[in-house]
Amino acid sequence: MKLAIAGKGGSGKTTISATLARLLARRGSHVMAVDGDPNPNLSVALGMSREQRESLMRVPKDIMEIKEEGDTRRLVMTRPVEDVTSEYAVEGPDGVSLMVMTGVDHAGAG
Amino acid sequence: MRGLLGELATGSNGETVTLTDMEASIEHMSRATIRHVDAMLMVTEPYFRSLETVGRMAPLAKELGIEHVWAVANKVRSERDEEIIRSYCGEHGIEVGGVVPWDEAIQEADREGRALMDYEPAAPAVGSIELIADLLEGQTMGNGRGGRA
Repeated sequence: MKLAIAGKGGSGKTTISATLARLLARRGSHVMAVDGDPNPNLSVALGMSREQRESLMRVPKDIMEIKEEGDTRRLVMTRPVEDVTSEYAVEGPDGVSLMVMTGVDHAGAG
Repeated sequence: MRGLLGELATGSNGETVTLTDMEASIEHMSRATIRHVDAMLMVTEPYFRSLETVGRMAPLAKELGIEHVWAVANKVRSERDEEIIRSYCGEHGIEVGGVVPWDEAIQEADREGRALMDYEPAAPAVGSIELIADLLEGQTMGNGRGGRA
């Protein structure tokens, strides 16, 4: 399942995202949380330790590129996804993994 | 989608959930990024500007082909608050997927920089988010709690 959580700043979407991630993980799902907010703080809401938070590196934009095919644009990976998760995902409480991807969403904007 | 989010949830045994905390609004996002999301939760507070954001997002999310699009009412302090959200969503054809009450435990957890789940796992807000997890599992994971309609 791919789930996106949106909402106006201050609406509480990060607390809801984090709590949902922890609950789904406790129910047995393998949860990969992705922080796509320009001001990322999902790591704190997930309850990651300082060490875990300090080991988080932002996933660089160049792991994806835009391919133009006629009038459609697609995002394609430039590296295997397993490489990216093993390099950037950090596991936190209840086994929830987190990647911080700020900036990537603007890749194909417009 | 061949981007990272698309690749993440494929090719794995068991149930993998990719959960993305997005930027404030989906209006600036690339279609390529959002297109293959199975479900979107749009968190809203019980006041008009917050609801209007959801009102703009919902048609876009549906247009992008997201199968399940739900509003989640947050910081609900009263029946009146819930009514405001339900009536706005009703008028705009948006399903309400959950109602999370105003919960002092969230403010306290934030003050201490802790997870709500660690600070107060029995908080009312956690209970209401459990119900959202039930909904998601029933609607999108096909684990016998209901499956796809």
